[in-house]
Amino acid sequence: MSEDVVRMQVNPETCIAGGQCELLAPDVFEIDDDEVIAVVQGDGRLDRKVALEVIDRCPSGAISIVEPDEAAGGG
Amino acid sequence: MPTPVAEAPNVTDDGLYLDGIPHDRFAEMRRTPGLMWHPYRDGGFWAVARHAEVKEVSRTPEVFSSAVGHTNLWDLEADALEARRGLIDTDAPDHTRIRRLVASGFTPKNIKAWTDTVGELTDELLDDAEAAGTVDWVDALAAPLPIRVILALLGVPVEDADHLVELSNFLVEGTSEQQSLPPDAFGNTTELRLLPFNSPASHALFEYGEALAARKRAEPADDIVTTLVRAEADGERLTGSEFRNLFHLLVFAGNETTRTALTHGAMALADHPEQWQRVLDGDVTLEQATEEVLRWATPVLHMRRTTTTATELAGTRIGAGEKVVVWYASANRDETAFDDPFTFDVGRTDNPHFAFGGGGPHFCLGAFLARLEIQVVLGAMRDRGLRLRRTGEPVRVPSNFVHGVLSVDMELAR
Repeated sequence: MSEDVVRMQVNPETCIAGGQCELLAPDVFEIDDDEVIAVVQGDGRLDRKVALEVIDRCPSGAISIVEPDEAAGGG
Repeated sequence: MPTPVAEAPNVTDDGLYLDGIPHDRFAEMRRTPGLMWHPYRDGGFWAVARHAEVKEVSRTPEVFSSAVGHTNLWDLEADALEARRGLIDTDAPDHTRIRRLVASGFTPKNIKAWTDTVGELTDELLDDAEAAGTVDWVDALAAPLPIRVILALLGVPVEDADHLVELSNFLVEGTSEQQSLPPDAFGNTTELRLLPFNSPASHALFEYGEALAARKRAEPADDIVTTLVRAEADGERLTGSEFRNLFHLLVFAGNETTRTALTHGAMALADHPEQWQRVLDGDVTLEQATEEVLRWATPVLHMRRTTTTATELAGTRIGAGEKVVVWYASANRDETAFDDPFTFDVGRTDNPHFAFGGGGPHFCLGAFLARLEIQVVLGAMRDRGLRLRRTGEPVRVPSNFVHGVLSVDMELAR
């Protein structure tokens, strides 16, 4: 279990619904078909390594980390 | 041009591309520190060949504009630019408005709903191709599948597909300097410089799109053209010119690019049977193989941007109003971004290819549709245990812009 979990957010102003986030982390991101932007599912927690990849691949730079979550993992 | 800079090897001569992408020339550009200056007609452009800088340019649209000049290598006069302006050659806020109008049709979920349709069309085409044994792969599958799928999404009747394929072929031709159509083809009376690809086929596509829009206004249906004719985004509909250009783009881009990917993918799988074996054996996922097909194919070779202000890239100073051309064809073979970039490896796990552009607001709208089509074709071939063997050389499109293949003969066998 990863100790390095972060929480994700999407900037709705810059999101272009490119969908790369949903491709890489379908449990956390979903493109909302009505708003046509990415939305974060649940608490938006994601392994840091995956999070950095999602941020890098997001075409519009709309995704960022809210805060590191030290409590996750616990071990 | 500031400080003395190295002159780039010629990569714009369309004839070069009859033998494929001139990879050795792009490799020279990637090795050369800074940016190289590429002479072109009576001016030139900064050639951006490395993955990192293609990404930087693509994701900095405030500096590297799509709306100034043109997104192709040559400049357009102001009236021609306005007449052609659509999703590709706009910046925010126009770009955002148009993109949001059309993007709902291309979200992952809405595209996934087309899986069965794509599967049925693929099976139909593969049945015929298998029965024939040896086919021109472009004619048999790579051309008809994407055009039928995009036309279904748009709401175009299936009996018009052949006509639109023909128009699209003429458009491809228009990306090179050779055109076989007379200026008045299809009853065109518009000056060619005012038409996309300078092609009279664009006039025909515009007319078709307008007739279709009229039909959808009278009889709305669950399709993209209906969405567009009804749409209100921020209280604004598309202008007539925006609709024409967007329809034109959707037909062309939804058709030509995926055709190219399916063709280069088939060629690569035929040439590297050990890679296809990995797919047959289930050692790699269809998703992985699809991403590698996309990287390998790079259907669109470049896009041009124009600087809105003086800036610096890769240590090279660029003045305001200068042309900067990002070469996806080169970025997708960048040694610093991919392990063994010249190896076709369907099992890559890290594959940050730029087949859909380098990111930024112009990231390919149809990315998920293209992926779906490639995945479905690979999946259908896998499930049938089909193997491809090349029985002829490809006939390539002489174009520095699209990586097109007109025909390539293939034998299909189980």
